[in-house]
Amino acid sequence: MEYILEVFLDENRLNKIKGTSVESQIEAVFGGELKVLRVKIGEELKDQILKAFETARIDSRACITDTPVAFKRALFEEIANQKSLGEEVVKGVLNRIDQIKEAAAKEAEFLPAPDIDISDIE
Amino acid sequence: MSELYFNRPMPHGGKLVERVIKDRKVAKKYLKACTKYCKFYDIKPTLHYKRGVPVRNVYREIMSVCYGFFSPVEGSMTSAELESVLSKRRLLSGWVFPYPILFDISKEDFQQLGVSEGDRLILRLKGKPFAMLDIEEIYEIDPEELANRTFGSPETNPEVVREKFDDKHPGWVIYRSYQPIILAGKYTIINEPVFKPPFDRFWIPPRKCREIFEEKGWRTVIAHQTRNVPHVGHEMLMKAAAFTGDVEPCHGILVNAIIGVKRRGDYPDEAILEAHEMVNKAGYIKPTRHLVSFTLWDMRYGNPLESILHGIIRQNMGCTHHMFGRDHAAVGEYYDKFATQILWLKGIPSYGFDKPINEVEGGLQIRPQNMREFWYCPHCKEMAYSESCGHDKEKQKLSGSLIRGLVAEGVQPPAIIMRPEIFKVIVKWWRKFNYPFVNEKYVLYKEEQLEVDLPDLD
Repeated sequence: MEYILEVFLDENRLNKIKGTSVESQIEAVFGGELKVLRVKIGEELKDQILKAFETARIDSRACITDTPVAFKRALFEEIANQKSLGEEVVKGVLNRIDQIKEAAAKEAEFLPAPDIDISDIE
Repeated sequence: MSELYFNRPMPHGGKLVERVIKDRKVAKKYLKACTKYCKFYDIKPTLHYKRGVPVRNVYREIMSVCYGFFSPVEGSMTSAELESVLSKRRLLSGWVFPYPILFDISKEDFQQLGVSEGDRLILRLKGKPFAMLDIEEIYEIDPEELANRTFGSPETNPEVVREKFDDKHPGWVIYRSYQPIILAGKYTIINEPVFKPPFDRFWIPPRKCREIFEEKGWRTVIAHQTRNVPHVGHEMLMKAAAFTGDVEPCHGILVNAIIGVKRRGDYPDEAILEAHEMVNKAGYIKPTRHLVSFTLWDMRYGNPLESILHGIIRQNMGCTHHMFGRDHAAVGEYYDKFATQILWLKGIPSYGFDKPINEVEGGLQIRPQNMREFWYCPHCKEMAYSESCGHDKEKQKLSGSLIRGLVAEGVQPPAIIMRPEIFKVIVKWWRKFNYPFVNEKYVLYKEEQLEVDLPDLD
């Protein structure tokens, strides 16, 4: 079975892959409101990711979700560096798993909330 | 015409269990007598058998039993009742019930307490008297065997169980983490806890809930189970499922959140409740048709088994219908994705149900509304129902996990998949807890604070 890792793209990330072969593989979803890159992987890499991160799970779309933000950040870096959406980018991320786990442990305590106005609902 | 109307179902077992002494004078008399003759025990959280973090607090079960959510269960089960539940999923009275409800203590605590059958034990919560347990039987369990038998296995339950349960399954971990001594007997709350905000405005025990339905003139009410903040797919599920009813769509939608220890990565309980409330405050479903409530229970994630408990709770609350979707109350791939729907449509013989759960003896009266799923269809340009939309190849599935991924990375989900007002509720509680989801810090905070405070009774 094939599993998917999604990387959402904001302006900053879009700029980093501008002009590369990866740019043409950007998909727009949900009425064009969200841009995403999809990395497809097999059983073996899926198992390694689930083993590495306790929160990771597979959703109804066969997407691997709930991985730490540090993992997603590293995945995007590998995509931008290797200019690829192949399994090799995931292998690149798993090669520095200890470093990612360290960052993930820190983010398990604190994630900065978005700076948006919520006064109308409080 | 009236023969076409659906009646409000009776409570499961025929009568709502209510074991709460509301008269404080009476409660004080009980306590005074007990101070002379009874032992006191401070309720402790159940800790993960390996990691030591809280996974359950039995006070939630005592509340759900005594306020009637789990009717006809009246307390901690005897060994005969436990065996009946594990082997047949039925109480000794014959009424269907899916899970063991037990009061467990360690061998050390048991020795220190020095109680025996026939004794009354006063249970303290946060250092104050909370409930009485009249001990009928004391016996020992093997927690691992309890966990395994509670959920079953691919060998014993081949119709729906796909993987062996293990310590990645939070419900299995709860039962595996039980202490070995069980004190069986009826609970009675003698000191009603006071819910803290925001829980206080969503606390609607079954009797009150039935009264509200009468006041609102809701003949038919469909229940929505939740442990999540609602995305637009959930909202569509509620709206579409509510089109069922009798001669007209259901008059009411009862959202009933399960509040208790959750998995890391779930949303905080406070955000779940207020986000559902926001669905009606922001007008996506009229407040005159939508009511948010909760049940205290440390979720066991038992998919079809959990659906039985959900059916019982919401039947006791007075609902005529219950919506069930894919992967109901599930985690991982332990169960078939449609195990709950199999139970309610065909039955699962290995769990003791050779027919649908509302056709077996001692079964439920609440009607299932089994739904498939909703996805975004770029062709229809709307959130579409999977069994209606013909653009399978173009479908864009959304899931809570997808949205959690966006939230964690600080990306506001598009309004088409999460209403902006709902996202603001998430941010409100994110700022309070410095984190958008349940993490270990939140679990410890919740265990220390709980959802309630107890007044003085002395």
